[in-house]
Amino acid sequence: MSDILNKVKDFGNEIKTHWNTPAEGKYVPYKEYKDVVIGVGANYTGTKTLEYIGFWSSCFLIMHHYKLPYLTFSVIGLLNMPLGYITALIWWYVCDNLGFLPKKQERKVYWVYGLMMLFGISTIAFDYSRLFDQSSWFITTLNSFEGMNATACFKTFGTHFLYSGWVGARNIFWRKKLIPKYGRYKYNLYCDVIPKCIMVILIGWLPVYNIADVSTRVWVANLLFATYNVFGFGNVLEECSKRISPNLQERILVRSYPVKLSHIFNSILAIILPAIVGMLRHEWADINFYRWVIPVTFCISAACTMGLAGRIKERIPQPPIEKKVQIKFWDGMLGVLKNKYLLINTVVGLIDSLGNGMLPFATILYFYTFRLSGLPYSLLVALISFAGTPPDLLSPYFLKRFSYKQIMIFYQLSRAIGNAIIAIAMWTLGDNLALCGTICVVVLFFMEMTKTVPTTAGHDMGVRIGDYQMYLSGERLESFAGIFGWFTGPITTFVGLIIPIFLLKYGFNSNWEILFFDGSRRNIVVVPIIVDAIGFFLMTIPYLFWDYDNRKQNLVMEVLKRRAEVTEKKAQEEGVSVAGGYKG
Amino acid sequence: MSKKEKKQNKANGWGTDVQLDIPEDEIWTFQVPGLAAPHVNKPYKYYNLKKAIFVIVIIVAVSLSMLFSVLALQNETFEYTELESGIQFSKFSNTGYLYELDIDYVSDIEYIAGNNDPATNFKVVKDTTKPITSVRQFTLNCDDKIKTINIGANVLDIDGKAFYSCWALQNIEVDENNPNYCDVDGVLYNKDKTEILCYPCDHDEYLRQKYGYEAELYRNDVTPEYERDIQTYVVPSSVKKIGEMCFNYANLRYIYLPEGLETIETLAVFKLHERVDQWGTTPSLANIYTYKATDVTDPHFTGRDALGEVYLSLPEGLKFIGSDAFSYNQNLEYVYIPSSVTNIGHHAFWDDCYKEDKQIKGVNVMNVAQSEEEFNTITVGDDWLPKYDYLLFKKDVDLKFSAQRQAMPTE
Repeated sequence: MSDILNKVKDFGNEIKTHWNTPAEGKYVPYKEYKDVVIGVGANYTGTKTLEYIGFWSSCFLIMHHYKLPYLTFSVIGLLNMPLGYITALIWWYVCDNLGFLPKKQERKVYWVYGLMMLFGISTIAFDYSRLFDQSSWFITTLNSFEGMNATACFKTFGTHFLYSGWVGARNIFWRKKLIPKYGRYKYNLYCDVIPKCIMVILIGWLPVYNIADVSTRVWVANLLFATYNVFGFGNVLEECSKRISPNLQERILVRSYPVKLSHIFNSILAIILPAIVGMLRHEWADINFYRWVIPVTFCISAACTMGLAGRIKERIPQPPIEKKVQIKFWDGMLGVLKNKYLLINTVVGLIDSLGNGMLPFATILYFYTFRLSGLPYSLLVALISFAGTPPDLLSPYFLKRFSYKQIMIFYQLSRAIGNAIIAIAMWTLGDNLALCGTICVVVLFFMEMTKTVPTTAGHDMGVRIGDYQMYLSGERLESFAGIFGWFTGPITTFVGLIIPIFLLKYGFNSNWEILFFDGSRRNIVVVPIIVDAIGFFLMTIPYLFWDYDNRKQNLVMEVLKRRAEVTEKKAQEEGVSVAGGYKG
Repeated sequence: MSKKEKKQNKANGWGTDVQLDIPEDEIWTFQVPGLAAPHVNKPYKYYNLKKAIFVIVIIVAVSLSMLFSVLALQNETFEYTELESGIQFSKFSNTGYLYELDIDYVSDIEYIAGNNDPATNFKVVKDTTKPITSVRQFTLNCDDKIKTINIGANVLDIDGKAFYSCWALQNIEVDENNPNYCDVDGVLYNKDKTEILCYPCDHDEYLRQKYGYEAELYRNDVTPEYERDIQTYVVPSSVKKIGEMCFNYANLRYIYLPEGLETIETLAVFKLHERVDQWGTTPSLANIYTYKATDVTDPHFTGRDALGEVYLSLPEGLKFIGSDAFSYNQNLEYVYIPSSVTNIGHHAFWDDCYKEDKQIKGVNVMNVAQSEEEFNTITVGDDWLPKYDYLLFKKDVDLKFSAQRQAMPTE
């Protein structure tokens, strides 16, 4: 007993001694641990609060107030797709160089972004659709899109130009200005937080949802949400804390305790917020949720985040950013295409797109089958989320006991079986809400339980794919890995239309209340779940070709270490600086 | 670590201690057995060809995707399905400028060359050799333009959900020669008027025009005359059944039901609402009354005298209340379940009350004519009673068995 007391006492003394200055060999004082708990907690809570706001059909604001047709989101995605390819190219070029471009290049990029913004503004100010023959195939096709007309299509297209130009130009401007001062992970908090708070308030208070004409409502809402999305508020302090120390053990310590502890703020809020909503007269459909609850919660989180952002430091040794190596565009492109394991992940993602456009099943279950609200809703959601925690603690055991291939195949099969059980329960017990709902909740619970270990395995597989890419190409080429999305994008865009078109046929459009109708709810929910289950089953096939085992990973790491050794030795012989190198 | 674990670890490669002896000049070319050879700082074979293939594949893939997606998303204004029983009208997608829809013959849009005004540059062309005989469910779904629907003489079957959430729909007119359907002042009924099928969402606008009101009156500005002409509806005495989704989203404060009514279908009186200001709406349905007169044909409320004896709430003789039949009517004050009821669907009175200033408003007690023993023999769905906030949970309102029907308030 006295041993334990002594240990506690020693620990207390250790904290007291190194509260302001870190211990020898360490980099982070304990005071910064406290800052991580509060700062990351506030930042994480803020980002989670923002998940209630979004330009997608299942956002409560869209669901209850904007009432935009479901297929309209697919149409907007389609309109934005071609421009996405062009802007991605410029974006990668700028980001891989951290915003530091040669002067001449920078001017050119600014011009491109400026012209895009001008074009975007002009499409919003003028109706370009009137320049075309109104009875032509082009215009009548645009008019026939669900929830859109030619005018709305042009304005939506222009909004994407405005958005891309605006975001792109800000990206260069603020990166250059703020990265040297605040580091590369949290710099955007300093330029985005105030406009983000203003936009969060405006989203709730601007009565755009009262515009009677649906196609006008669509493009104005798209413009409003695009403006809102220009300003970011990501979970950047957590990213920063992952690079808080060059000492690997210290880094893991920070990630394991203060960061995990910081998430408790959000867990508490996730229970309180729905309970508050339950007290509003119209619950989730009450606009006061977006006028008061969300802005107040977000602004408090944002203020706490900003108060502590400066105290959480990045401490990764790296060469001066101006000296960063430039990567040739086509070498990067062709390099990633040689990576077999990226290809396997891409095929998995492609099959997964079979479920794209599906309505969030849990939302339907909680709100339309169970009619949950307030504390019972919070508690059920918390219970299901908690299901993943105990297996998380056992992750190291499972990862050692089973190969990644086995884990991922099990994961996809468990999803397929879980979805199949839900589909059968809903189809056969649709009217028996209590029994059907209970079966669904139990299955969701088990699906959450079986998700944690594969998620951890998936993250590690991603890291290993990067190591393999480094072995193949001498660089991790993480940005260029996005090239696979270029190939899958066109396919997933088309495949992602299957479910929305089906849902429209069974009455699901902009009015979610059709889900109160038992017969419609059954068709709308069950058929997409079956499609998704088939997708999960098929997703096991690509993993059969995953042969990147631990032995190969160890060999690859040996090659990488040897390369680092030899390169550093040669550099020393040539008298070149080797700062930032790591030999393992 | 046990022997078994050691064995397993080795099998999975975690414990593998590998060492490679790679010569310095082979660090960028050394190939790990079983993996592809590295390709570092070397020119690619057929570099330009690969670039060209890459660009072509991307362009073709994006173009094809755009084309197929556009074809999938492109909607014909009118879509029909040929059935054995005739031609079914299966889907309608508004051009954005169609305000009146005729459902009689197969139709198509024909554009007028030279006219560049999208509101007038088309006409609807009908093929009179192809009459429409039925209308599929969700043929009109969340349309916000169509104000009038004209139903032809040959339409024999209209699905109950055919005109779902048509926000601007003011009236439905039926050809008088139609053998199965008719309309009563813009409201859809079956021919013998035993079933009311669809009270259009924006029927109040039609009534405002008919009775000379220039604009919609907001909740606090409503006059007794406006309430009588626009927000009160008398279901004719011949009606035995209110169809599914019949009155949903209507702007009505009072509904008078005939005593012979037997069935109120699913979502039949769902979420009735009126404008509270230009920005928002609020639940409108305040009360349901039952009248005894047997010769009422005019749905316009002129006073209770024309309706014979009138009493509060649901009619004696009512047997079936569908699921969500009266949901989301927080302004509803009183409900009395008569002894004739044998089925109450799930969530039939969901969200019909709320708590304000520590008081339960809306339906704060459910009055049932039957005794508890009698009531236990009928079929009731889950959560059929309204619930109110109780601490942080929800609690059913009190259920009062063997209740006496409340007396009528003075007119």
